[in-house]
Amino acid sequence: MNRLRHLPTLRIRPEDEISIHFRGKIYKGVAGDTIATLLFANGIRIFSRSLKYHRPRGLYSLEGECSNTFMQVDGIPNVCTEKTLARSGMIVKAQNVVGSPEYDLMGFMDKLSWTMPAGFYYWLFHKPAAIWPLAIKQIRKAAGIGNLSPSFEMKGRYDENYLNADVCIIGGGPAGMCAALAASEHDLRVILLESRPWLGGFFDYRSADYTEDLALYERARALANQVEQTSSVRVFKHTSMIGAYNNNLITAFQQGTENDNFTERYIEIRAESVVVATGCIERPLLFENNEKPGVMQVACAHRLARTHGLMVGMAAVFSIGHDLGLEAAIDLHDLGLNVLCVADVRENGQESKLIAKLQERKIPILKGWVAEKAHGGKCLNGVTLTKIAETQKQKFNCDTLVASAGLTPLTGPLALAGATLAYDDHTGFFLPDKLPNKIYTAGRMLGLSDAFAIETSGELAGLRAAADCGTSLKHEIDAAEKELHALPGPVKGSQFVTATRGGKKTFVCFDEDTTLKHINQALELGFDGPELIKRFTSGGTGPGQGGIPGHNLPLYVRQLQDADNKTVKPTNVRPPLASTFLATYAGGGHVMSKHTPVHSSQVKAGGKMERIGVWYRARRFSEDKSAREEIVNVRNNVGLLDASSLGKFRIHGPDALNALQRVYVGDMSKMAPGKVKYTAMCNEDGCIIDDGVVIQDGKNDYYFTTSTNRAGKTVEWIRYHTRYDGWDFHLINLTDAFGVINLAGPNARKVLQKITDADISNDVFPFTGCQELMIESTIPVRAMRLGFVGELSYELHVSSSFMQAVWDLLKENGEEFGIMNFGLEAQNCLRMEKGHLIIGSESEQRTTLHDVGLGHLWFQQKPEAKTVGAFALKETETQKGRLKLVGIKMDDSSRTPKEGSIIVDEKIRGYVCTARYSNSVAESIGMALVEDHLSIPGTHLKIFEDNLGDQRLSATVVTMPFYDPEGKRMKI
Amino acid sequence: MFGKFKRLWAKQPLKKSYDAVIIGGGLHGLATAFFLARNYAMTDVAVIEKRYIGYGGAGRNTAIVRANQRTQENLPLYKEGLDFWPILTKELDFNLMFYNCGNLNLAHSEAALKALRLQVTSAQFHGINSQLVDPKECKALIPALDISDRPTYPIFGGMYHPPGGIVRHDAVVWGLAKGAAKLGVHIHQQTEVTGIEVENQKIVSVDTSNGKISTPRVLNAAGGYSAAVSYHMLGIRLPISVLTIQAMVTHPLKPLLNHVVSSGAYHVYANQTLKGEIATGSHMDPWPNYTTQTSAYYIKHQAEALTKLMPCLKGVKFMRSWAGLADMTPDMAPIMDGNYPLEGYYMDCGWGYFGFKSSAVTGKYMAQFMATGECPDILKPFELRRFEHHRLMGETPAVVEYSPNN
Repeated sequence: MNRLRHLPTLRIRPEDEISIHFRGKIYKGVAGDTIATLLFANGIRIFSRSLKYHRPRGLYSLEGECSNTFMQVDGIPNVCTEKTLARSGMIVKAQNVVGSPEYDLMGFMDKLSWTMPAGFYYWLFHKPAAIWPLAIKQIRKAAGIGNLSPSFEMKGRYDENYLNADVCIIGGGPAGMCAALAASEHDLRVILLESRPWLGGFFDYRSADYTEDLALYERARALANQVEQTSSVRVFKHTSMIGAYNNNLITAFQQGTENDNFTERYIEIRAESVVVATGCIERPLLFENNEKPGVMQVACAHRLARTHGLMVGMAAVFSIGHDLGLEAAIDLHDLGLNVLCVADVRENGQESKLIAKLQERKIPILKGWVAEKAHGGKCLNGVTLTKIAETQKQKFNCDTLVASAGLTPLTGPLALAGATLAYDDHTGFFLPDKLPNKIYTAGRMLGLSDAFAIETSGELAGLRAAADCGTSLKHEIDAAEKELHALPGPVKGSQFVTATRGGKKTFVCFDEDTTLKHINQALELGFDGPELIKRFTSGGTGPGQGGIPGHNLPLYVRQLQDADNKTVKPTNVRPPLASTFLATYAGGGHVMSKHTPVHSSQVKAGGKMERIGVWYRARRFSEDKSAREEIVNVRNNVGLLDASSLGKFRIHGPDALNALQRVYVGDMSKMAPGKVKYTAMCNEDGCIIDDGVVIQDGKNDYYFTTSTNRAGKTVEWIRYHTRYDGWDFHLINLTDAFGVINLAGPNARKVLQKITDADISNDVFPFTGCQELMIESTIPVRAMRLGFVGELSYELHVSSSFMQAVWDLLKENGEEFGIMNFGLEAQNCLRMEKGHLIIGSESEQRTTLHDVGLGHLWFQQKPEAKTVGAFALKETETQKGRLKLVGIKMDDSSRTPKEGSIIVDEKIRGYVCTARYSNSVAESIGMALVEDHLSIPGTHLKIFEDNLGDQRLSATVVTMPFYDPEGKRMKI
Repeated sequence: MFGKFKRLWAKQPLKKSYDAVIIGGGLHGLATAFFLARNYAMTDVAVIEKRYIGYGGAGRNTAIVRANQRTQENLPLYKEGLDFWPILTKELDFNLMFYNCGNLNLAHSEAALKALRLQVTSAQFHGINSQLVDPKECKALIPALDISDRPTYPIFGGMYHPPGGIVRHDAVVWGLAKGAAKLGVHIHQQTEVTGIEVENQKIVSVDTSNGKISTPRVLNAAGGYSAAVSYHMLGIRLPISVLTIQAMVTHPLKPLLNHVVSSGAYHVYANQTLKGEIATGSHMDPWPNYTTQTSAYYIKHQAEALTKLMPCLKGVKFMRSWAGLADMTPDMAPIMDGNYPLEGYYMDCGWGYFGFKSSAVTGKYMAQFMATGECPDILKPFELRRFEHHRLMGETPAVVEYSPNN
């Protein structure tokens, strides 16, 4: 196709040729083409078929408000080709067609549209019930648009930016640019977002006069230069604003160019104030076949020529409702288009200069006329115009119908920010009747049409936004207000909705094939508001969201229901305002995780690392899933466990003891020096949420541990439960500052003694004791004698920076005693043999301290402490019918039940929490929560494992611990 | 269906008295109204809806249905609820579009597998089809899954529950409204309940923005606002925290996900609607909140989680997100009670974000409760008093924390 190569407004580089693949052929275009304009240049007019009726669809708006030009590009489905720049080598495929968009075997669906009224699926396919599953298959195949392969791999680099700004301006048209310049003059950090690859908005493609000797596009480029040279304004082009959240958090994404090192970039901006200057899109004109290829909006036809150098067709009829339509008709005529006629829905109010220019060119203008029906097969070949509310008609043969009812402001950003919109009779717009704080609006979206007024409104909004950032700009604001007041105000907009009622193929929503008739049907059924109609007809729920129907649908409903209804609202907009790739939202895909100070040595030792919460921890150190060797070694020699993920805290200050008394069930006031105290925390229902040890380091100065899972929650837990007390204490989370080594096994003392001079004999440092030790006379560690795994063991709390050194020393010196790493699997089995519980494993949401047999930890004589859960602990102490933690022994020791199996008779009576074959006691044993009447030792239990059918496993309730019941081994 | 369309529910004048007033034109309220009329010939019933029917959770959920709950108190109700969709479709003569695609719930740790086994064994024990599957079987069900060990949380296995699926949520709202209206129930939209009057510990009337209604019984089925209605109008505090929960959909695609898929570790669930969109949601915002605002954090989180689980989805776009309110109880099981603490006061609330699945069948039993005054056995475990007695239901294994104290 011949390009209009020499227009000064072009945004293509005609000398720079590119090519893409489509339908097995190579199509050539030029740099700056979008995929759709490239194909259009090659004569492609039908880009897709519609969802339900498989009607041919073509280029309509260039703004991506509907899925007309959606195609698959390089395996990515639903690419909006009218907004996506073409790059050489792209492989483009049509979607939702059997055949091609031109010859779609599903095209017959259009003839069957009468069988598909609004919500037809609610009345069909369920009688008889047997046909429904078959219908689903067909519905699923027919629905959807693009195809995505489950093995598809998205290419590219995805960046993330988190920015702060004083003023964020959305929209890089004339108003937005003026706002940016005005704000930047006051030493503020300004961010300007523009969705197109260039600044300029609707000035960019227009050759009409700005002043006598400056065209609009020249003015736009001058402004753009000025903005881009202003260092305090950060300009993000090709950046679509997608969300506005509380306190002016603006989200957006930027598409990278060939020169950028990212494919797309997710952006979050926290701004002090925001200016929305997003301009307008066109309001679709509603008439029969209003979406036939060849019908397009004013700016689409105009930009095709002026921006892309493509003449839209040979002969065109215009049916418009705004002066921009007249301007386009004149300009396109001058560029060579045969303009047969211009129908304007307005009886009057047109700019007289434009009318004169039309007359000069002998282009007939029909005021108060509108397109009633588009004719043609797959593409347009004619149009019938009609005089509004009368019967006169005229038919024209043409290949292009430029159709637009007027303008619709892009108020999405305002709506997301919390503005309420109300219908304005003068402009015919839904305008904000109340703006949220620190949000301003400017430009053509207010109904302004005069170029100076648009720019001044931008300047005013920019000043107001700047004033929010702490500068007093009263004088400047007053001046700008005065200036704006002197300029032409909002122009009268078209009130026109639709000439004919009940159009069978008058599409309110292109994506969903929703017609005026469907809306009538929905109203008849009782769906009497736009939101309900939207839901029922699905109009506005497709990829373009409210882009096409957002304002037409409520206005049409209003016209049918009650023309004076002032409460009519546009249908809801929801983020993202522009559809956004999940790849872009996901961004860099950073994984938040923590490694313990000895992580690498765990991995090196063959540790099978698993993610436990935020931590990576070693489950075992061999392929043997039962970790038998590690278990045996702890029982017989000595083992080493990295327990660094334990929560570790210091609490100190005058009310530290009060705080501990509040959250711990035990009596924290009586702590023996050099001793640890094992205790637990409950929630308000008396349910156990944490256990750990507490050590007193001094008066009102304590060190305590929590389970791994609770480490992140403990500070807030304590703060929350002391929030009304005004207590003075300091709480320090030391979890990451210290690592923990559990040295356990009969040889533990021998190993430890080799690297410390301290007397660690059982007499000096007995079970439940706590000491500060020096390792190799240099490294201080806090050592505790605990017995979680049931052997002589030392829990060593070491500064993270010394962890590796202490770990290596223990490994080295333990070699002669058979030291080996052990992991979580071994620990789990070892502690189970001792009947020690892990919270979350042997307890659940409804398990109280009593239920797990730890009621003895509860000190009742401290009512003044108002211990969290104490009230419930009293209430539930003797309550019947609760699940209790018991030990179980399998009757057949070769059969260990899978964890999570249930204990049953005719009902479910409990479940197996943990079960293992124990080498130490040569039995299959476990811990289970069972109803209290079954918790007595000696009770026989029946266990149902998944897929056991009628079979049951049998077990007997036994007392715990299973191993070393007197607990001698940990006290040696 | 091709002639002139008749209204599905008529606009009726608000009468001065009704036998029963139902607060909330959501699924639970409409279902109860329908069954009061159908099973107990109680047709003198008003459903009072502040906005339009299905405005709240009914129209904001992701339409997933299943019967693989954790406890034996919940299982029978959910099983009957799941079996109910085809029956109700026929009954209402309105296609509720139950798509029986099955649900796959993924486990990413040994502990999660154990938790799933408890659900699987409990379901099997109740005659509900549910199976543990290994990672390869997961991949066979959902080819888009990444079952390698590369992701943050590799897949250890899953629970496959074939009887589950999705139902068209709006269809249920409209079908029930149509059915109830046909039997004589009045549905008053754009009508707000402003007060409830009590005399001698008995409900006597309900005040609305369109006038007072005398009635001996009222059902609180106000969803996210149920606790507020209960407290502000009757002074009864319910153990309910209200949290915002968000969901979103992608552009429509040809069939890609043949089952509902969910993952606790990633906090994500997803299903493909019959229209082809991937509808996804997950956990609630972590603090109590009555707004239905979405957040920037959440949609990003959802994209991160979904693309870790199913990397091909990077090439799809989100096109819409929204939020609803979840009325959460401390044990993540609902409160269904009646004539307590006031005679004639019924509650069907605290359904959180799982109120869709069993809405219809719950309506049937709440109708029985309201018509006879006797609590059906199946609802007894859900009484309000369980909280007074610290007897939580254990519907989730983990301790639930909604308040800012977590």
